[in-house]
Amino acid sequence: MSTQADPAQPAEAAGPVRGRVDQAVVTAPHAATAGPVALTTAGLTLGFGTRTILSDVCVDVRRGAVTALIGPTGSGKTTLLRTFNRMNDRVSGYHRKGDVLLDGRSIWHPGVEVMELRRRIGMLFQRPNPFPMSIMENVVAGARAHRLVGKAGMKDVAEKHLTAVGLWGAVKDRLKDSPFRLSGGQQQLLCLARALAVTPEVLLLDEPTSSLDPAATQAIEELVRTLVPDITVIIVTHNLAQALRVADRTIFLNQGRMVENGETRQLFEHPAEEETAHYVAGRFG
Amino acid sequence: MSERAGGRPTGARVASGGHGASGRHGGASRSPEGMWPPVSRRRKAGNLVFWLLCALALALVIAPTLWLAVDIIGKAVGNWQWNVLVTRTDQLQGGLLQPLLGTLVIASGAILIASIVSILTGMYLSEYATGPLRSVLRGAYEVLAGIPSIVLGLVGYVTLVVGLHWGYGLLPAVLVLSVLAIPYITKATESSLAQVPTSYREGADALGLPPSWTMRRIVLKSAVPGIVTGVLIATAIIIGETAPLIYTSNFSDVNPSLAHVTHLAVPSLPYMVYYFSFLAQPIKHANILSADAALVLLVFVLVLILLGRVIVAWSRRHAE
Repeated sequence: MSTQADPAQPAEAAGPVRGRVDQAVVTAPHAATAGPVALTTAGLTLGFGTRTILSDVCVDVRRGAVTALIGPTGSGKTTLLRTFNRMNDRVSGYHRKGDVLLDGRSIWHPGVEVMELRRRIGMLFQRPNPFPMSIMENVVAGARAHRLVGKAGMKDVAEKHLTAVGLWGAVKDRLKDSPFRLSGGQQQLLCLARALAVTPEVLLLDEPTSSLDPAATQAIEELVRTLVPDITVIIVTHNLAQALRVADRTIFLNQGRMVENGETRQLFEHPAEEETAHYVAGRFG
Repeated sequence: MSERAGGRPTGARVASGGHGASGRHGGASRSPEGMWPPVSRRRKAGNLVFWLLCALALALVIAPTLWLAVDIIGKAVGNWQWNVLVTRTDQLQGGLLQPLLGTLVIASGAILIASIVSILTGMYLSEYATGPLRSVLRGAYEVLAGIPSIVLGLVGYVTLVVGLHWGYGLLPAVLVLSVLAIPYITKATESSLAQVPTSYREGADALGLPPSWTMRRIVLKSAVPGIVTGVLIATAIIIGETAPLIYTSNFSDVNPSLAHVTHLAVPSLPYMVYYFSFLAQPIKHANILSADAALVLLVFVLVLILLGRVIVAWSRRHAE
């Protein structure tokens, strides 16, 4: 997997934004606690029209770990998540200050091609959204379009990734069928297989289990744990227990500000900020 | 109907007046429906009046259509001979061959041009245009839909037939009719594309798939039934248009020819309906041909609309 990124890349690629990198690393409270950083936001302020959703967010996301984004409704979790793969860029009235760095390089750098960026940073949505084509075509759609696989290798790729998400046994005899006959949980697993087939380095999960039953939720959570450390996972969740179960690290956002960022257990059991203590104790939001 | 509406409210009023607050128990003892508060007479009368108004409106829509169809079929079927379809028109007698060919060629050409222009326009409006530009463009084609066809015919006459010295012919007729069809197909394309779920597009974006792939493999694929239906409806609309043809193709008794798209008047069925009718020609043979031409057009329109229905039903079943 490409997660074993070239260590020389960040330094060499940082170029015009290096100043901001240093600043971000310094401001991030837990910068020194663990392994290398995959994604960094540096003074990210972002809004749509007159509304500001994120203000001056400085966080870093550890490579090869599961990071949970928690916070009350409207705290900007999803907006932050969608910024990482530039899904907000085309929303009307979008404005931004600050930067997001992937391996030390700005994701808005003119040399960054958004298609390739999104191949490297995959995403899973709240509701499963398979394409209106066969199960097999769904899995290989991205891989085919990115020319990661030829026509001949389609079946192998489909089998590999469907097996990885534990769906192969259930669908191997109906690869040509419509994905809409699968259950919601199976559809979400299919979408995960589809996202994995383009070999991403980072996977963004936007409340991936919010529309699923407990069994399917458990399947997804267990799967998420198997993705690390090959893939860096960021998961937005409203479910604090889920954050505790799956996340190595947790970022707490409130009203567009990053309140606390640290080891999940530390953050839940000994929060440094009073706001965090209130939230994890269920006292607001 | 009126018996029910007149009979039951009386009992209902008694129930509501007699039991008041304890109506639930009292009603239950009278009948199982008494569990619910009784419907007032006034409400029932209101419902009936509204129902009647709706039925009347529906009748107003259907009656002229039926009358027209019965009239056309009545005039044509009595004298119908299948060979009029393959017999050449000769002066005011014979068959419908040249006008039939003329209509098929003009309509196909117009729909071909209109489809290309409209589908691209609809894609632009739905996928690329934003803000005020989009509103202006959308307004423009909606205005185009409201322009009377005879005005478009006149414009075609002034600019193409006279202005470019093309004379009457296939090309000006095709161009004017295509302008007539454009708003319908554009509207169908735009709304079919807009109905493609955002989640498909987001899913494709998040995989880093190029917009062209998303357009081809997902968006257009989901929108095709709607677009095809729009094309069929537009065909049904323009195939019977007469006014623009008076100004652009006019009438003759030659076969339409792709080698002579200008300077050669082309016959067509709608023009024939008008030109051979008892209003213009007090000759029985001609009038029968006029009715035959009308029947053929009616069948065309019916088939096109049925085809559209079939496509919609088929795509619903396969949409999942």
